[in-house]
Amino acid sequence: MGGYDLDRYQRQITLLSEEGQKSLRRARVLVAGVGGLGTIVAAYLAAAGVGFLRLADNDRVEISNLNRQLLFQPDDIGREKAVAATEKLHNLNPEIQIEGINKTIDDETTDELIKDVDLIVDALDNFTTRFILNSVAFTRRLPLIHGAVRGFFGQATTLIPGKTACLKCIFAQSPPREIFSIFGGTCGVIGAVQATEAVKVLTGRGEPLANRLFFWDGQAGEGTITVTKRNPHCVVCGGD
Amino acid sequence: MKITVRAFADYREFIGKEMELVVPEEKTIGELLAEIGDRYPKLRSEMFTPTGELKDFINIFINGRNIAFLKDMATPLTDGDIIALFPPVAGG
Repeated sequence: MGGYDLDRYQRQITLLSEEGQKSLRRARVLVAGVGGLGTIVAAYLAAAGVGFLRLADNDRVEISNLNRQLLFQPDDIGREKAVAATEKLHNLNPEIQIEGINKTIDDETTDELIKDVDLIVDALDNFTTRFILNSVAFTRRLPLIHGAVRGFFGQATTLIPGKTACLKCIFAQSPPREIFSIFGGTCGVIGAVQATEAVKVLTGRGEPLANRLFFWDGQAGEGTITVTKRNPHCVVCGGD
Repeated sequence: MKITVRAFADYREFIGKEMELVVPEEKTIGELLAEIGDRYPKLRSEMFTPTGELKDFINIFINGRNIAFLKDMATPLTDGDIIALFPPVAGG
């Protein structure tokens, strides 16, 4: 590891070790969704020196995004989120590789998006797409870091094929799509938890939120853990 | 038998964070929720349709298992069960 990296990541190498930092440098991560959660997660992972980030989203920046999607500014309104976020993150950390993909995440595109990554961050805004990603992540044996938010509430859990419940073991149905209320700080909390989980899984440090659903209630100022279990009859993982 | 019910997010406004209930044996989760709904009509209208069916995107866990993958509302309760009620949180 060169002097630049030793300086840049000095304050976390003391936590993760040089080997851990090298693991981050080698890591390839898909951030699925570049909204309230995705911008936060991607910023922390880029700043931490994750070597390759693929950012996938097919939306364009809207004015109503600016209360929480901190990578975007008024000048970005109308631009493709994946492109604008890539540019901002490149400025944040020019030493890493960032690829912005302006595509819908669906049955057609998922294989291509995940083909060469080590880990997936679920920063999506709907469960229909989450369930697609969950199935593919399970088939490819890729860890998936789930996060979701609404209002002052948010949740996160780490799904590791063969070790934990998958998303479909925990959640049964896709709630109807809605224009949900959201405070930016909620995305900050959950996005930061997801980034922490990703770094832990990639470096082998700490105890991931495996079979544990972290729930953040910003209204009460309280985080709780609910233990989750595999469904032995799960249509995706069959409890495997 | 003793059952603990934990509410999350909006549901806390209706029933508080947690309640401990002592209920007779051989009760199902559906029966228990109907009784709780009688006591807390606002919770009932959040969780159930006007015809009394559980809205299908609400997550109810018994000891970490979603009842949708157990016997749904017919899932029997046992002493010491911890029930968690989660409204949908789906944004990103």
